[in-house]
Amino acid sequence: MATDRTVAVATRVLLQIRRDHRFIGMVVVAPFLLTFFVRTLFDATTVPAPAQARFVVPFGAYIVHFATFILTAIVLVRERTSQTLERMFVNGYRQGEIVTGYLAGYTTLATAISVIELTALQVLFDLGYSAGQTAAAFAVLWALGVISLALGILVSNLARTEGQVIPFIPLVIIPSFLFSGILVAVDQLPTWAQAISRISPMYYANRVLQEVVAGTSAAADVGAVWGLPLFGVIVLGVAALTLRERT
Amino acid sequence: MTAISLQDVRKDYGTVRALRGVDLDVPAGTVLGLVGANGAGKSTLLRILVGALQPTAGTAHVLGLDPTTARREVRSRVGYMPQAPVLYDDLTVRENVTFFARGHRLPDVAGRVDEVLTFVDLAAQADRQVQTLSGGQQQRVSLAATLVHGPEVLFLDEPTAGVDPELRRSFWNRFRGLADGGTTLVVSTHQMDEVVHCDRVAILRAGELLTVATPQELLASGGGTVRVTATDGTVRERHVTTVAEGLPEVLQAWGLGPEVASVEVVGPTLEDIVLALGTADREGDGHGD
Repeated sequence: MATDRTVAVATRVLLQIRRDHRFIGMVVVAPFLLTFFVRTLFDATTVPAPAQARFVVPFGAYIVHFATFILTAIVLVRERTSQTLERMFVNGYRQGEIVTGYLAGYTTLATAISVIELTALQVLFDLGYSAGQTAAAFAVLWALGVISLALGILVSNLARTEGQVIPFIPLVIIPSFLFSGILVAVDQLPTWAQAISRISPMYYANRVLQEVVAGTSAAADVGAVWGLPLFGVIVLGVAALTLRERT
Repeated sequence: MTAISLQDVRKDYGTVRALRGVDLDVPAGTVLGLVGANGAGKSTLLRILVGALQPTAGTAHVLGLDPTTARREVRSRVGYMPQAPVLYDDLTVRENVTFFARGHRLPDVAGRVDEVLTFVDLAAQADRQVQTLSGGQQQRVSLAATLVHGPEVLFLDEPTAGVDPELRRSFWNRFRGLADGGTTLVVSTHQMDEVVHCDRVAILRAGELLTVATPQELLASGGGTVRVTATDGTVRERHVTTVAEGLPEVLQAWGLGPEVASVEVVGPTLEDIVLALGTADREGDGHGD
């Protein structure tokens, strides 16, 4: 794998993002708007503010997961249908370089979305977190965002057209919320649902975030802290291997 | 020296037989026109040769290498121009060509990009976004991206589709220039008049290779009509299978007396000949493109 080709892909992706002002506007506005909707929902309940954080911070992470996953799931399949992916291969680019280049380029967006989401949570829910808690929460949101990008690339590899990728989106996104442990503790779920939860990055993100919200050290849940990046590495590897170079 | 060699290459898409056993050799430094209607298998054949498609059976060699097993090396030495421009609309001309050039890890990307943009006469438009260009200009950007690494073999999939006659002529002049410089070109087209620019023409129909010949051989094989006009205006016509063999026989039968005002041989166009070849013995349809 050649670093210069990975950089070329990342640079090209960044150039394209920079030129799409409407897209950038959506990326900035959407997390704030969705978090505001959640705030409106909690305003209509009697859940006390300290208890709200247990739900809203992981839900903020879920917004990051959703937004970043969809980005790469759709954009990469568009490269396939427009044949630019095939042209990249014919011009010497390799699977690993394309996947990591994409990931590097879109990581800037994942970073921006994570910062915006965390800011929205702080402003709209007045979390009052310490610098350590904020840094830990940001690290989880950012890692989740990057891993979700890789997951989006993997899912796009399973589709040949943009139409085919659409059914995959709810199949990934909805179980990742339902079985993440945000609403119901995972150990109360049936075994098969627990198995599904473990193949979603939201499960690991939620476990770490619950430690952050509780004010304990995020590192207390070693399994989840390591589970998140390990999950990311596996997804990235499978994404690179399944990116078809030839039909 | 043979630049491209195909032996019994077949490609099936499910139950559809896109290529039905193609045998073909292309000498180095020549221009081969790949002619056929839509669905004849032209694009399938080109994509096999650049390693983008795996043939169902048979073997292909490009510069002595099998694109299936040595596709990386093949791709470093060949250029492939897809049918549509296949570019990033929101990037400029220079950014597009530079991006594809960087895939080949060229030592002087910027210099090479300038060179190739000058070759396709797009230096003045280098900083314009591709989406603001005309279709013909986009085709030229695509050609520049194909040529940027100086390939030894070029596979061009209908490069002149949808471009105006002046640009088509300019494209063919460039192709001829590249061939004169030693590059081997395989150019697919369904515009029959373009085959005169090729050294040899391969005609595909429904995945089958019907013939490979020079444009002159194709013209000579087409027969023609001998038209004799008398001084009183009477016209007599007879179809001959080949002009060279049929003409003396016709003239002998009709004589060349003083009443004959003119003798005219009307030959078919290359398009007539190719179409005749393509429609003869039509048994099935290919879906290879």
